[in-house]
Amino acid sequence: MQFLTPLGFLLAALALPILLLYMLKLRRKQVQVSSTFLWVQLLRDQQANAPWQKLKRNLLLILQLLILAALVIALARPALRVPAVASGSVIVLLDGSASMNATDVSPSRFEEARKSVRALINGLSNDSAMTLILAAGSPQTLISAETDQSVLRQALDRARVTQGHAGWQAAFALAAGAARSSQGKATIVIVSDGALPENGLPALPGEVRYIPIGESRDNLAISALALRPAQKGPQLFAEASNYTGTDRSVLLSIYFNDELIDARQLNLRAGSSGSLTLAELPNRSGIYEARLSDPEQPAAPLDALSLDDRAFAVYQSGSARRVLLVSNGNLFLEQLLASLPAIQPFRALPAGDGTVQIPNDPFDLYIFDGILPTKLPDAHLLFVNPPSNPLFEVGAPYREIGNVQVKEDALTRFVDWSNVHILEARLAQTPPWANALIESDAGPLVFAGETNGQRIAALLFDLRQSDLPLQIAYPILFSNLIDYLAPASAFDATRSLQPGEVLSILPQTDVEQIVIASPSNTAFTLSADQNTFTQTHELGFYAVNFLSKDSTRAEYFAVNLFDENESNIEPRASLQIGSSAVAPAVSQEIGQRELWTWLAGLALLILILEWQVYHRRQIHWYTGKQVHL
Amino acid sequence: MLFDESTLRKLNQLTLVASRVRAGAIKGERRSSRRGSSVEFADYRNYTPGDDLRRLDWNIYARLERPFIKLLEEEEDLAVHILLDGSQSMDWGEGEMHKFSYARRLTAGLGAVALASGDVLSIGLLQRGTVPVEFGPARGQASLPRLFGFLEGLESRGETNLNLSLREYSIRPRRAGLVILISDLFTPDGYEAGLRQLLGRGQEAALIHVLAPDELDPPLAGDLQLVDVETNHAQDVSLDGGVRERYRLRARAWIQATQLDCRRQGIRYLEATTSLPWDQVLLLEMRRAGIVK
Repeated sequence: MQFLTPLGFLLAALALPILLLYMLKLRRKQVQVSSTFLWVQLLRDQQANAPWQKLKRNLLLILQLLILAALVIALARPALRVPAVASGSVIVLLDGSASMNATDVSPSRFEEARKSVRALINGLSNDSAMTLILAAGSPQTLISAETDQSVLRQALDRARVTQGHAGWQAAFALAAGAARSSQGKATIVIVSDGALPENGLPALPGEVRYIPIGESRDNLAISALALRPAQKGPQLFAEASNYTGTDRSVLLSIYFNDELIDARQLNLRAGSSGSLTLAELPNRSGIYEARLSDPEQPAAPLDALSLDDRAFAVYQSGSARRVLLVSNGNLFLEQLLASLPAIQPFRALPAGDGTVQIPNDPFDLYIFDGILPTKLPDAHLLFVNPPSNPLFEVGAPYREIGNVQVKEDALTRFVDWSNVHILEARLAQTPPWANALIESDAGPLVFAGETNGQRIAALLFDLRQSDLPLQIAYPILFSNLIDYLAPASAFDATRSLQPGEVLSILPQTDVEQIVIASPSNTAFTLSADQNTFTQTHELGFYAVNFLSKDSTRAEYFAVNLFDENESNIEPRASLQIGSSAVAPAVSQEIGQRELWTWLAGLALLILILEWQVYHRRQIHWYTGKQVHL
Repeated sequence: MLFDESTLRKLNQLTLVASRVRAGAIKGERRSSRRGSSVEFADYRNYTPGDDLRRLDWNIYARLERPFIKLLEEEEDLAVHILLDGSQSMDWGEGEMHKFSYARRLTAGLGAVALASGDVLSIGLLQRGTVPVEFGPARGQASLPRLFGFLEGLESRGETNLNLSLREYSIRPRRAGLVILISDLFTPDGYEAGLRQLLGRGQEAALIHVLAPDELDPPLAGDLQLVDVETNHAQDVSLDGGVRERYRLRARAWIQATQLDCRRQGIRYLEATTSLPWDQVLLLEMRRAGIVK
């Protein structure tokens, strides 16, 4: 037993005013009696016989002093020494990854972990500070170096488990930073089921302790679900894995837009996986879902972790991109456009007077070959050998083209420029919004960039003045450029995302707003110029609605767990961090348990008692009355 | 109204039975020189040295060989003195239980009996250490209305000093007889010295101790300042169940001590709580105590 704020005892001086008030006291109620003769005798006896009678008469005073004593002791904060897992500067890494949703401990592993951390907080000694880090997809410092236990508990209550994998490296980095900035010895406590990556974790400074959570490894998971376009319709591949220690048979059902299209019973040996391939599926856009269930009891939960018993895949039947070629006639370009997949080419020729009329229909991409319309369309543009225009200045032609360099870029992937020769090019400066992709000493030959939501690329030479169309680099460069300028879809839906992964969206230029509905029907609104979506923490499929002035178009993408580390929920007996193993922690440090709440409660009880006593004395009051004949 | 109709009716009944109810059960206990002057035989008693040998019953002595004195009926009237405590503390209690009213009704009852049986009645009011007003001596039923009028005119006020009042009453020449003191005995200096003085003058004495029920068991609780109506003395008391209980015991002990003290001095004692009907006290309790018979 020790007192954390012994100065609180100074408040015991408040007993003096209480005593003083008691002595001055007590406007006694005056009552007339016929004679005080017997009373005087009685009190003389009492005072002579039993001094403690006085105390009994002062029961209220005693109770008041007891209340004061309880409060004063409570303010002095008495504390008991109790064993604790950690003391001093404590940094808690709370696992918030998908596997912590497992229900093998009731109600869930995460709640169990929260309970453990609460116990840590309760056992925290007075001078100990705690930092709480939630290890989720993007680790989050819930509270930093806090000593107030109630604040810590509030922060702990805010922690929510996620459905993705935990970014342990970033979490370790946060913990290491917190440990270095703390004064004195830091103890890092990892509260987890042990689903940490086996290697690649940095060593932690200070002492590391591990509180293991979880009891069983009862989990089956869909470990893969993928779609592949093929000649006669897409192919679907689904894989289920058995992470339990026993052989299990499961029912793998495939749904297309909520309609069951196939179901197979898979007999999975312990630790192995089984797969299913469906071919020649209808060439329609839609959502495929794979579900795992128990063949005997389809409605009952299959295993401890239900998150990975469903998976989604989205099939988007390719819609051809409309490309308008504005040219006086260029065989190389026309043939190229005709040969590229998922392209619907159109051609516009200048009128007899040389003016160019662009059709009113919108196109995904405009290619201007040497000529320009009076007004450039507000869309993605590819210029080949352009004259000066509002977007950039083009200078005189030149022929001394030497030292051609190809910049490292996604657009120049697989482009081999070594055999390309150019007779004549035009001088230009790379605009500030663009990157030069291919450059000579004199200036850029090819550049690409984005300005005001418009993607623009330019080749500063005439294809017919070079041997590029004869080289292998020609279709590759143009395919890259066209995919960049007119992407097939706003995003790549065929590959599913992992929870927390960022989705890049490239909307059509007429899109004004993007509304994304999550699997739990939460709506996220993005403006047209936001091209990333980060709220992909829920598993399931998301609907991306592109709202333009007069039309609405929806596309879908799926977020699946597909993480062996998370699906394998077997609790690990020890952690491997760096080169050392961390065994489960036992309570060995000395923590404190404060007792002031009990004392405050006691004071309240005595207060109630005092109130009762006071009223009991006041109930029977009596006034003597004079009687007249 | 002190003597209302029902009270008067009860008093009339008392006077009817007064020939059987007689104040002063003193015969055979007091050696009076006058006793035995009549010829009517009354009783025997043991001979004690100093007795008149002429009254010895020689016949009995011859037969039993033990001396007995023959007592003869005294036909002389008895002097009855009723001393009424008129202090402020007697002004206590409500309605029928008012102590001073009760005491006056007792006085009236005793007085009526005495007058009806031909005794000589004197009444004195004890107040502020003196005897400010007296009644009598009076004799005969014709004095009854005067007695009631006298009693109605009395008031209880001021402090008592029973010792002083009793001494003052005793030093005036009186006929020896029966002195009945009616008081609550709430007097700090005591009453014993005064009574002893009366006894020394050859009086027989009886004490009727009048108390209100709430004086024996006060219905009080809490932190109080008790104020004595008589002396204005203030006493701080914190009352709870325990203190009340101790007060009850204390009051009982005081009464018992007083009773014992009286018995030692040959004073008849009667405790009269005002919750008892006064006529019942007169007819039953006083007879039991030997004050009337």
